[in-house]
Amino acid sequence: MLFNSLVFIFAFLPLVLVGYFLLLHWRLTVAARSWLLFASLVFYSWWDVRYLPLILGSILFNYTIGGVLVEYDDLKRKLVSKKAIFVVGVTANILLLCWFKYLDFFIGNVNALFGTGLPLLKIVLPLGISFFTITQIAFLVDAYEGLVEERNLLNYALFVTFFPHLLAGPILHHKEMMPQFDHLRNKVINWKNLYFGLALFFIGLFKKVIIADQFAAWATPGFDTAPSLTFFEAWLASLSYTLQLYFDFSGYSDMAVGIGWMFNIRLPINFNSPYKATGIIDFWKRWHMTLTEFVTTYLYAPILRSFGRITFGVSLAAIFLAMLISGIWHGAGWTFIIWGGLHGAALVINHIWRKRKLSMPRFLAWLITFNFVNASFVFFRAKSLEGAMKVFAGMAGVNGVTMHRSLKKVHLLERLGVNFSGSWLDGINGNDRTYIYALLALVFAVTCRNSMQAVEGLKPDWKHFAVLVTIAFWGLLNISQVSEFLYFQF
Amino acid sequence: MITLEMLNPIFRQVFDDESIVLTRSTTADDIEEWDSLTHMNLVIALELGFKIKFALGELQRLKNVGEMLDLINRKLA
Repeated sequence: MLFNSLVFIFAFLPLVLVGYFLLLHWRLTVAARSWLLFASLVFYSWWDVRYLPLILGSILFNYTIGGVLVEYDDLKRKLVSKKAIFVVGVTANILLLCWFKYLDFFIGNVNALFGTGLPLLKIVLPLGISFFTITQIAFLVDAYEGLVEERNLLNYALFVTFFPHLLAGPILHHKEMMPQFDHLRNKVINWKNLYFGLALFFIGLFKKVIIADQFAAWATPGFDTAPSLTFFEAWLASLSYTLQLYFDFSGYSDMAVGIGWMFNIRLPINFNSPYKATGIIDFWKRWHMTLTEFVTTYLYAPILRSFGRITFGVSLAAIFLAMLISGIWHGAGWTFIIWGGLHGAALVINHIWRKRKLSMPRFLAWLITFNFVNASFVFFRAKSLEGAMKVFAGMAGVNGVTMHRSLKKVHLLERLGVNFSGSWLDGINGNDRTYIYALLALVFAVTCRNSMQAVEGLKPDWKHFAVLVTIAFWGLLNISQVSEFLYFQF
Repeated sequence: MITLEMLNPIFRQVFDDESIVLTRSTTADDIEEWDSLTHMNLVIALELGFKIKFALGELQRLKNVGEMLDLINRKLA
């Protein structure tokens, strides 16, 4: 089920909320949690019920392994070492992910390398698998290292499947999530949380339906169908995607956090105005923050540890490796590996820069950062390396610069070799709105308060309420077609 | 028993800052270079320095020198 669907907003969400708080009101805590778990599984199965056994199997497996690890030291008969159990658990998770996500990529590369004709398996990626796999790997690591105390299957299953975060994060840590359901104060409906949660949810809906989907209409043809792009088409296609991705993913995250609030559950924040970043280190502190924290804790730290010494060079190598793996986690394809590698390299440069205490004017720092991020997202978005190169070629002006024919009177442009045409943005289905909206959205993302800050500043007065209702209706009235969130594909 | 004086050189080395003088209440806010990434450099350096091992899941929460010292001493006990 999608957050941006009428059935979710008008049937599923109210029903689950009312049921949850009614059961809690009658002091049926276990029933209330079971209700949430049941609702989350319905939410998951709505997409394709065939994958329900997969997620249930994954939960049972990890819960069992986790349990064995927690109780290992008290076991009388120790047939295998604790480490072996842990390694088997983690490997099984990685293999599951590899099977669904990377097998076809692997076969394709083998075919390309050895000229074999092995058939691709065309495996469908189950929704949310990348997310529920890594949260559970973190759980196994913590169980192995003695940080897991609670042992309750219902709580564990609810932690993994709780529907606001199940499909695309924010990436949760069981330690910050599981105790929240137990707090007494969280068990009664909190009207302030409900109001703020609804506000954040509808701001997120607006970002998705009104802003992101609009930019998708230009990014998609530019990346997927246009055979080649002129200078402005290419720049606007890449900018459209950069804006689409931010408003789509941060909109989704706002909706997830908002829904969490309605249930008195605080989910971690995922975005903090990333396009305001003035450096790539800064960018990763603002973009997909829960992934950054996960990568730092569960990838960077163990890589560093495995080197056995800490030097500046070692830490740079660990950063690069961690980002490369994070790129591969996003998707099976050379484009994602390059994307991860580029960000790893940029972080390395940024760290060297900082270590040498070099400086740069703020605006220039922002400009370089934003353009780097924008260019890296070309790899992230393109379906193949050729697709990425097509967009880069356009951005570099290989296919010439075409502007609107009304500018033909400006002789300087003509002398510079600019072409003129009435259909100058046809390659991306664009028109005058394309560059105006792109500029507006960019200025907005770079200068304005983000949704979290906006909700924090929310006052219980009619003026704010009116703005919220407008945003909500605007969003609701534009839910016309099914439009998935971008991060569902990862 | 590990003391503040024994932590100080490791902090100075990791954050590349000879002026650091630790107190129990020193936090990440007091040292400019101390962010979530250098934090990992710090804890792994402490692991190697004192031959202990932290659990990965507890690293992010260790943002105060006093707590850090107590945890190290608990691990060495």
